[in-house]
Amino acid sequence: MARIKIDIDHRICGGGHKVDPRACCKCLRACAPAVFTLHQSFGVVEKDPLDPQLWSISVLWPTLCNRCLKCVEVCPEKAISVT
Amino acid sequence: MKHGAGGKWYLNARLYSEEVARKHNLREFLLEQYKNFEQIPVRKVHGFDPKNLGYTLRIPIIGRLAKHTAEKMLHSERPPKNPFHADGHIGQVVPLEDGIAILQSCAAEPIIEKNCMCRFMSRGEKEACCINFGVMSEIVDKLPRFIPEKEKYHLTRDEAVQRFREHNLKGYIGTIWFGPFPYINNLCSCQSPECAGLRPRVDFGITSIHKAEYVLAKDESLCTACGACVARCPFKALSVDKKSGQVLLDVQACYGCGVCRHVCPTEAIALKPRDEVPAVAGRY
Repeated sequence: MARIKIDIDHRICGGGHKVDPRACCKCLRACAPAVFTLHQSFGVVEKDPLDPQLWSISVLWPTLCNRCLKCVEVCPEKAISVT
Repeated sequence: MKHGAGGKWYLNARLYSEEVARKHNLREFLLEQYKNFEQIPVRKVHGFDPKNLGYTLRIPIIGRLAKHTAEKMLHSERPPKNPFHADGHIGQVVPLEDGIAILQSCAAEPIIEKNCMCRFMSRGEKEACCINFGVMSEIVDKLPRFIPEKEKYHLTRDEAVQRFREHNLKGYIGTIWFGPFPYINNLCSCQSPECAGLRPRVDFGITSIHKAEYVLAKDESLCTACGACVARCPFKALSVDKKSGQVLLDVQACYGCGVCRHVCPTEAIALKPRDEVPAVAGRY
């Protein structure tokens, strides 16, 4: 089976950049098999480690993607690409 | 962990006790683990990247090694060491009755409800459908993102039973978790595909959770083949046969969660102890 490549542009979404994924989450909700995951950003320093404020979205289960491309449609910043 | 022969591990009150938590120093361990909880599924484990799990499992030999490594970690009975690994985090599906028995006679005080981290991670939703006990409740008090936005999240035993019943009637599957072995602190109610505990088993065949001590038993004389239960089952254990129009039950696929019972208009489905059904006896 050909590998599916789902890219999220982390220069736009998450990690303290333009969009805070916690306020959007449109791709998470649009995805029927729930392949995305929301997690604390890696490689950043939190002011309060007990209450982290910097979050990112990653693709955790790419093999379950059914290529419906709804995530690409709903992303307001056009930050997701599926190839 | 032993199953069957009257041995339901989750009805052993000692496993919920302060004594066990203190022995393994779980106050420190769990705080460290839950500070970074959402990162754990994204991190590499023993050299395997979870993002490639679906592909890795298809490779001959290496796929089997990956499955074995994951199961060895989850089923580990050694004292937990690394808070970034899910060592000894194994659970079992529980039907409504057993969940209530846990809350009424085993669960350690204080009992709280917290925002489900699986639903937050997979959908960005904050829904309070996890019930926590003992040390875990103290940890949640320190972590604002898990605290539900309503006034009161500390529950009495009766309130906890009430909440668990609400979730179960809604179709959320009850699961009880070691976190980590041998301390039980989590009674979840969640759905597939959001539940991160069910996902490895349902989608990848890795035993991340055991099936319940029960399976469904259908009373064919009462079943009207309305199909309401079929829509409820996330495990595809129930299906409508196109030729005969009957509802078929696949006992091998049934997890024994019992949430389909709540939608049956004629009460044609009941739960039966797994050991009494030869096809699935001893297979969790």
